[in-house]
Amino acid sequence: MAAPIIRIEKLAKRFAGRGKKIVEAVREINLEVEKGEIFGLLGPNGAGKTTTMRMLCTLLVPTSGKATVTGFDLTTQAREIRRHIGYVGQKGGMEQVATGRENLMLHAQLYRMSKADAERRIDDLIERLDLASFADRKTATYSGGQRRIFDLASGVINMPELLFLDEPTTGLDPQSRARVRSEVRALNEQGTTIFLTTHYLEEADALCNRVAIVDRGKIVALGSPADLKKQIAGDIITLGFDDEGDVGAASSLMQGTELVIETQRADGSLHLYVDRGDHALPEIMRILGQAQQAPKTVHLSRPSLDDVFLKLTGHSLSEAETAE
Amino acid sequence: MMLRDTYLIMTNEIKVTFRNPFWIFHGLVQPVIYLVLFGPLLNGVAEARGFPSANAIQFFAPGLLIMNALFSAGFVGFSLQDKVECGFLERLRVTPVSRIALAMGLILVSSIELLCQSGALVLCALLFGLRFDVWGGLLLVVLILLIGITMASTSFTLALLTREGGVLAGVTNTLVLPLLILSGVMLPVTFGPPLIQALARVDPFLYAVNAARALMSGAILDAAVPAAFVIFAVLSVVMLAVFIRGMREAVA
Repeated sequence: MAAPIIRIEKLAKRFAGRGKKIVEAVREINLEVEKGEIFGLLGPNGAGKTTTMRMLCTLLVPTSGKATVTGFDLTTQAREIRRHIGYVGQKGGMEQVATGRENLMLHAQLYRMSKADAERRIDDLIERLDLASFADRKTATYSGGQRRIFDLASGVINMPELLFLDEPTTGLDPQSRARVRSEVRALNEQGTTIFLTTHYLEEADALCNRVAIVDRGKIVALGSPADLKKQIAGDIITLGFDDEGDVGAASSLMQGTELVIETQRADGSLHLYVDRGDHALPEIMRILGQAQQAPKTVHLSRPSLDDVFLKLTGHSLSEAETAE
Repeated sequence: MMLRDTYLIMTNEIKVTFRNPFWIFHGLVQPVIYLVLFGPLLNGVAEARGFPSANAIQFFAPGLLIMNALFSAGFVGFSLQDKVECGFLERLRVTPVSRIALAMGLILVSSIELLCQSGALVLCALLFGLRFDVWGGLLLVVLILLIGITMASTSFTLALLTREGGVLAGVTNTLVLPLLILSGVMLPVTFGPPLIQALARVDPFLYAVNAARALMSGAILDAAVPAAFVIFAVLSVVMLAVFIRGMREAVA
């Protein structure tokens, strides 16, 4: 089997925080990404996804640990790595008062392409990504979706074997989001390995072959979305209550039954992990009804990555988000 | 490769800079306003006892050139901060572009801007009756460029370190204003009490302003001239090295 395109050993990054506090943004991560994958780092803001990606893109020097990217050593061969990777940051990076085409020309030439080669490559990208209608306008006039597609074009201008995408669809309308995802899939089909970060569960689920769930600077789970979801056996019944006291009461009632494999509380609601939801639900409702603890809302679902996240970290992804 | 990268960064910067009409206003009009509005004020002062020159414009114009170099180059960091903010710098830093070229491209453009502004100032001052020595004037151009490189490198480095616009403005003003006042551009430092005179002696711009006046009047061998050149040659090399280092490891 071919060598992994990214190999990370105990990679860590510490920042000086406020006062004498040290912020451990990334804590000794180990990871391998194979050629041809669409690999996703999934986690809330502040989990260390972007910091990890910025280290792998040679933008940030790691505090400790080792990594090879596209076969080159991160600490000693940064320049070689830059030649072989593409990167689209959260902010994009287009010069506002220049046109999209001019931006691409600058980037292409900085990748040491001759002007003629660069022109050919840019024309090709503009045609393939359908950018012609706005390529010669200043990028300041672009919509969020137009800018993102141009960012993607810039990211692949040097035909990288590995493309890094930092939150590629954040802040986009649903239509542009779908467009970006289909372009990412198309690039992957043409042989580009994709490494992306996201805090959208459905994005990781829909786009990635493998996902690492990151929380507080650590990888807490790694596998295909399907495998990760299998970690949670059966179905999930979510009961909604008006106040926390009722959640507690229902929780202790449910822990006593054989139907429920596991319970988990998350603000105002109780998650019950059960074998067969369709069979368990009527019985659960009967028990709660008898104890005068009938819930306000009931929801039966197959496990999502959010449930995996909740089970592994003790907090839900959306909760962690607001806590930032 | 480094030269080609520098050229690419530089030409891109020039193109972008000249597309922003605000640049003309901010860059050129401000020093000219100083000359037009503040210069005549000095005419009255020039007659005061102890004033080093009988002619206000001969006193003020060289100082104004130095002041313009201090201010114009001292505030270039804000443009870099915009580039950090919109991700432009980051986009360039993931390409194989030489970090030295990245820094040099920006420094060269700021130097070109400074030359244009200085030229416009001199043209204006000529209308106000300025006379200057040609050889001294050419040497002054070199001194202005050294000051420009020093201040632009400092400002760019601060921009990489501070990240927030408000912080950069605060730091820059706290740095630039004392340097300006103690340099004796506005009024001769010899007018001040001993404490101010002592403080002024550690302000590199005092030597620059004195050297500028000497050079314009043709006194090329005045002691202030070599002092100013040595100070700013050293400072420009040191600050440029610091800036290039910042470009290598930029956090932002």
